[in-house]
Amino acid sequence: MVRSKSQRMVRMILAWIVVGLFFFPLYYWMTVAFKEGREIFDIPPRVFNFTPTMKNFEEVFGISFGFGFGEQREVLPGGGNWYMTPRLLDSIIIAVGSTALAIAISTFASYALSRMDFRGRHHFVGWVLSTRMMPPVAVAIPMFFMFRDFGLMDTHFGIILIHALMNLPLAVLLLKSFFDDIPREIDESAIIDGASRFLIFRRVVFPMAKGGIAATAVLCFIFSWTEFLFVLTLTQTGLKTVPVVASTFVTSTGTAWGNMAALGTAAMIPAFIFILLVQKQLVRGLTLGSLKQ
Amino acid sequence: MATVEYQKIGKSFGTVVVLNDLDLTINEGEFVVLLGASGCGKTTLLRMTAGLETVGSGNLSIDGRRVNDVHPRDRDIAMVFQNYALYPTMKVYDNIAFSLQVAKRPEQEIRAKVDEAASVLGLTPYLGRYPKELSGGQRQRVAMGRAMVRNAKVFLFDEPLSNLDAKLRAHMRVEIRQLHDRLAATTIYVTHDQIEAMTMADKIVLMHEGRIIQVGKPDDLYDIPNSKYVADFIGSPTMNFLDGQLRRAGKKVQFVCGDLKLSLPAGFSDQQDGRRVICGIRPADVTLSAKGEITGELSLIEKTGADMQLHTTVENHEFVAIVPRGVDVAAGTSVHFAVQADKLHIFDAGTELRI
Repeated sequence: MVRSKSQRMVRMILAWIVVGLFFFPLYYWMTVAFKEGREIFDIPPRVFNFTPTMKNFEEVFGISFGFGFGEQREVLPGGGNWYMTPRLLDSIIIAVGSTALAIAISTFASYALSRMDFRGRHHFVGWVLSTRMMPPVAVAIPMFFMFRDFGLMDTHFGIILIHALMNLPLAVLLLKSFFDDIPREIDESAIIDGASRFLIFRRVVFPMAKGGIAATAVLCFIFSWTEFLFVLTLTQTGLKTVPVVASTFVTSTGTAWGNMAALGTAAMIPAFIFILLVQKQLVRGLTLGSLKQ
Repeated sequence: MATVEYQKIGKSFGTVVVLNDLDLTINEGEFVVLLGASGCGKTTLLRMTAGLETVGSGNLSIDGRRVNDVHPRDRDIAMVFQNYALYPTMKVYDNIAFSLQVAKRPEQEIRAKVDEAASVLGLTPYLGRYPKELSGGQRQRVAMGRAMVRNAKVFLFDEPLSNLDAKLRAHMRVEIRQLHDRLAATTIYVTHDQIEAMTMADKIVLMHEGRIIQVGKPDDLYDIPNSKYVADFIGSPTMNFLDGQLRRAGKKVQFVCGDLKLSLPAGFSDQQDGRRVICGIRPADVTLSAKGEITGELSLIEKTGADMQLHTTVENHEFVAIVPRGVDVAAGTSVHFAVQADKLHIFDAGTELRI
């Protein structure tokens, strides 16, 4: 298509506006983390011309800049405990753990669903999906009792388990569609070549599905990273993840916006690193020229 | 090398009968083409031979051993798929070597076999590449290489050329046939392309709606089709068909269609007068002749290079004739064709079987 210069300009400008719409809230949130008290509430808002400070980060992570994670300090008036480094670690452990568990199970499950014929296969898929139809809040209280009785209350393993279970249906369905896209002939060819199911999975199908698995892992990770309800109900003092502790910045004497923003900004980093790690797999094509084009 | 035997093979998917009481024997070293329109069951039969479909009923034997319930890997077969089914994450070398690696053959033996196959197929320079970096023809060769290194008793090909362009297809036809002659392995080749079947096969098995219609050498199917279906399927352009009747005139029997009268050979002398029949005439079997019995209204001339295809109307039937290039005819005029009596194919109008 031939486009005039002005048309291309308009497209370019529109594209930047869309990018801005997505990026600006993120940027503004980050500036809040670097602002001190009064500046946060200035009208008109200070978008660029604020005085950056690390105070919020120092309070939240107990770092005095000269670097290094320091000991927890009593930094807040009233003796509040807003030292968040361990909470960030909790979040990482739970997100990584639950993602690994969900992917490990769903990869096998979805391959089986995609390839093996068994009675009720189609219903099985619907049933898998139906487990996500129930609002989590409906089971939060029963879960509380079950976790208490099984001794899973307030443990990393318990939260990893519940996050993985919540991610499973979606992960299974998503991965199934990736496996469905890999032609059956490739499996059949390997069957004739003498390979066992597991060998086919390991050497032929899994390498082809890496991109899909990476994409699914990103979704699982983000879900677990942001999940609120179950962490709130199933933990007490042993651990808390970032979304839950972020809510503790809202207190009866006011909301610590700066600290909350600092935690939020810091919390984006691990998720961002995780996505960077799997990004290489994400962009790779699925079948990579095994078939006719 | 082995024989393949099908005894009373049947198969249905739900209520759809795909194969119906099928009997067929494939001899050692033979190149057999399963030919038929899509949905005729030829691919199902091939996949059954490979062990990728279960045998519904009947017996399937390879090399005299019943293999109905034998796992594909133990059947000693190799298969080339329509879409090649190469392993995209493995290099060409590993693609070809995969079956040997799975069988845990010594590394030296694997290398020797892969190198040999690669040199036969002209793939040596590409062993380090990934399938996506190859052209269609090269991918096809890799698929064949994968089959070659297995020293299988039976080679199965499932429409292997249908994804290639016309020129490459003609080239690969020759290569596959040469490969067969070199390895002398029993080969079953599925296609819907009658030209592939005619050019490559020792024996063609023409299938229709789950049944075998005719089995024979390519020339037999072309010269003596046993039914109108076979006559129509084999040959390009397809055979012309005229609906008419048999007429007795003393000892002689004629085919009559409107004003057209064609004398039939002596073999028809015991035929009943007035029997309704279909007369088939191959486009290449007619010659232009001023005294010819067949008169057609010429509507279109197609030049194919070496010769011309004349599209005419004969007694309200479409009629195509192939004549040498440069013959002086013009669209919109009448043309006359002559045909030898022994080139006429007469089929019963009801059963459409050859008389």
